[in-house]
Amino acid sequence: MSFLQFDETRASAKQQQSFKYRLVFVVLFIFIVFALLIVRMTYLQWFNHEKFLNQAEGNRVTVQTLPPQRGQIFDRNQVLLAKNTSSYSLSFRRENILDSTHTFEQIQYLFPEIPTSLLEDFAHRLARTPRHRDTVLPFSLSEQQAARFAANRYRFPGVTLEARLKRVYPHQDSGVHALGYVGRISQTDLQRLDTARYRGTDITGRAGIERAYEDLLHGFPGLQTVETNAQGRVIRVLNTIAPVAGQDINLTLDARLQKFIENSLGNRRAAVVALSPLNGEVLALVSTPTYDPNLFVDGINHTDYNALLHNPNKPLINRAIRGQYPPGSTTKPFIALGALEQGFTSTTERLFDPGYFEFQGHRYRNWRREGHGWTDLKRSIVESVDTYYYKMSLDIGIDGLHSMLSPFGFGERTGIDIPGELTGILPSQEWKRRTHNEAWYRGETIISSIGQGYNLATPIQLATATAILANRGRIVQPHLLKGAVTHRDNTDDTPQQIPINNRNNWEYVIQGMVDTVHTPRGTAWSAGRHIRGYQIAGKTGTAQVFSLNDGEYNADDLDQRLHSHSLFIAFAPASNPKIAIAVIAENAGGGGRVAAPIAIDAINYYLKELDKP
Amino acid sequence: MMDKWLSPADQTYVKPTSWLARLHLDGWLLLGLLLLLGTGLIAIYSASGGDINVTKNHAIRILLALGLLAVFAQIPPKTLLFFTPWVFIAGLVMLVAVIIFGDTGKGAQRWLDLGIIRFQPSELMKLALPMMVAWLFAYSAYPAHPARFVLGFFIVVLTAGLIVVQPDLGTSILIAMSGLFVLFFAGLPWKFIVGALASLAISLPIVWNFMHGYQKQRVLTFLDPETDPLGAGYHIIQSKIAIGSGGIEGKGFMGSTQAHLDFLPESTTDFIFSVFAEEFGLIGVVVLLALYSFVLLRGLYMAYRAQDVFSRLVVASFTMTLFVYVSVNIGMVSGLLPVVGLPLPLVSYGGTSMVTLMISFGIMMSIHTHKKMLSH
Repeated sequence: MSFLQFDETRASAKQQQSFKYRLVFVVLFIFIVFALLIVRMTYLQWFNHEKFLNQAEGNRVTVQTLPPQRGQIFDRNQVLLAKNTSSYSLSFRRENILDSTHTFEQIQYLFPEIPTSLLEDFAHRLARTPRHRDTVLPFSLSEQQAARFAANRYRFPGVTLEARLKRVYPHQDSGVHALGYVGRISQTDLQRLDTARYRGTDITGRAGIERAYEDLLHGFPGLQTVETNAQGRVIRVLNTIAPVAGQDINLTLDARLQKFIENSLGNRRAAVVALSPLNGEVLALVSTPTYDPNLFVDGINHTDYNALLHNPNKPLINRAIRGQYPPGSTTKPFIALGALEQGFTSTTERLFDPGYFEFQGHRYRNWRREGHGWTDLKRSIVESVDTYYYKMSLDIGIDGLHSMLSPFGFGERTGIDIPGELTGILPSQEWKRRTHNEAWYRGETIISSIGQGYNLATPIQLATATAILANRGRIVQPHLLKGAVTHRDNTDDTPQQIPINNRNNWEYVIQGMVDTVHTPRGTAWSAGRHIRGYQIAGKTGTAQVFSLNDGEYNADDLDQRLHSHSLFIAFAPASNPKIAIAVIAENAGGGGRVAAPIAIDAINYYLKELDKP
Repeated sequence: MMDKWLSPADQTYVKPTSWLARLHLDGWLLLGLLLLLGTGLIAIYSASGGDINVTKNHAIRILLALGLLAVFAQIPPKTLLFFTPWVFIAGLVMLVAVIIFGDTGKGAQRWLDLGIIRFQPSELMKLALPMMVAWLFAYSAYPAHPARFVLGFFIVVLTAGLIVVQPDLGTSILIAMSGLFVLFFAGLPWKFIVGALASLAISLPIVWNFMHGYQKQRVLTFLDPETDPLGAGYHIIQSKIAIGSGGIEGKGFMGSTQAHLDFLPESTTDFIFSVFAEEFGLIGVVVLLALYSFVLLRGLYMAYRAQDVFSRLVVASFTMTLFVYVSVNIGMVSGLLPVVGLPLPLVSYGGTSMVTLMISFGIMMSIHTHKKMLSH
């Protein structure tokens, strides 16, 4: 190879010509391709600019909801009953999660303390939620666990650590049936609730006060416009509208009285309602057994829920407003008062009690088989003489009894401000025709006169009736929200006072109740003999359980459950009442023996220890 | 004899007049390159979110590349012609070595560890292959014998084949194109070109049948990226959003939300055009294409002025390689072509391909400035 050879590589003229044409060709080709690219860019950047600009904005700008802080709940003395504490949880957004299986494996690896079943359930739930929605793992992380996640969060795109406020009930199971609880919002809740107001909130009131005053407690959410990156992390906040926190509310309850009564009931199935007769404020609303509302806050697990649901003592039922019991002899003061006011008897009229009352060949027995002998109306209260009422009832008739008891609120809801109250039953001829499609038998009137038979009352009804009696006819509405102005049915024609014929009739009956507690022949004498300095007016009741007509109760221990219910109603001080109370202990036996001591001790505790200015 | 080939001061060359030409540099081409490299620096600074270290790295690579350009510009064309076959054969050996011993970088075997430096033989082939094919025609009469075309075609297919198995589809397409352009400029008869294109069109359905599932998926995703917006189509959708949201005037320097918020993948490398288009809009895009057109036209003019067959084939092919680079990259990020993984030449971050390109411009300048006096 020599220099000359290289010289020969010089192009020929012909070759030169062909090359020139091909250069012109590629120049044209370049211009066509570049023109195509410009057309493409014009299409993207000019004609579709708006669309892509919106997509770019949508990429980066997200509107987040700032959930409001739920209002706190206090008792009447500023004792905190429901509060919010910080808790951490993991929030998952499917559209940002690259590999769901891997993510959950890693979460499980990082947090062995999270139950596998919980994670699996959650993974299934997440797979069914919309890609762009944040879903919170129902597991509260501690500070340390939260820190552990924060250190590893780069490994979890689509998973964010959320600090949120968790509802906590510091008194645990005390007062749960009044307070209720919050729970996770369900699909059914979503149909009921205003979704705009609940965006970003995962709990709502489920029972009791939490449910009844949801509207006050919840508040209003705020909005925050944020810029996020491709992993969904917030880069900066563009705009904020602050949320409005829910209202703090005060209840009429006295947490100390509530706890005192709960303790005195022990593990009985029982209900107690204590009211202030002055204004209808509920001082204590007890239903035992109780349960811990904190279980429900993050969504109760199956085991705990089934344990509560299948507990034979039915802790979930609020006996104070949903338990319907035969009122038994506790109806006697009300009937006695009605009979006096309407002239069916007088303070001087006496009756000989041989221990039974015979009607149409059937003997209606007194609770004391040997009888009480000559009995006047007061003694019929003090010693609870059934025959006095058996005899009167035939003159009064069932509709007459109905007219005497219904002004005190029997047979209808008291309108207490928590959901789920039942009406009880105050029978009448019309009622029996309507419900049983049968005529009324006079024999049924006789057992109705001592609060048996069809008669059913709830503890809240008994307490309210007692408060009205204590008030000498002034009607009050039981309520749990302090300062709440609510009236039964909220109608203007609702009477505020039971019409009085003779004020002495009221005092006569009340004296009978005082003697019940404070005289040796009284059925509650042994329970009240230690009371000094003031007088308690009370009436015992021992309601026979003829049949397990309350279908909600499954009797495991049938014998025990055929025992009579023990009832007691009372108010004190008798002359200037500050507290009215109704106690029902299921299948506990005689009213004077079980219910009366509970009520009287509670009254004494309240008047001596708590009711101080 | 040997030092005759290596001597830069060969008496047979025309004495250049301007100071740039005396340094064997071409002023116009250099101006175009510097403008594009400057654009790249600006775009990289923005796409990296204002990362001064990334930008500094790139600036250092630019200086290195300019230095290499200047060095290669001093090598006389006849020296290049002499070494071409040997360099090419060495390149082939290294390609085979890469397949056998190569380091795996980013999931592909492209690197050869030579002890001192890690070396990518495919980069060498970007220069060596077109020069080798041009060498085939350097001593040929015109029109060349068909056997030379067949041999040239075989070399192209062999080289591209060795690169595509690495696998590096983008580079193998680019190298194949550079070789095919040499054949085209060497006077490949039009009837062959038309025939080849026609048979390609016929064979496409057959090829489709032999494709792997993932390859078919890639093609389908390309045709309608919206079908897999979080998977294969994600890059191209975000890239189109970036370009489109820029509008006519653009969002301004540092205004690319798509890059800064990590929606745009590979924003400093393969998708830098999208960042540029988002920030500088349609106006910026037209200016950028005008800059490329200027460099391309200057390159083709240099090919036109080249005095021998080897020189003009090499210069024309190198120029057209830049064109393929630009149009494939822009076509790719704007959703006209599949994502094959090619950077935007002279603008994208990443030294290797830029260095290779700058060496090719050095060779072009050498050819342009080492002119012999024509006897006639």
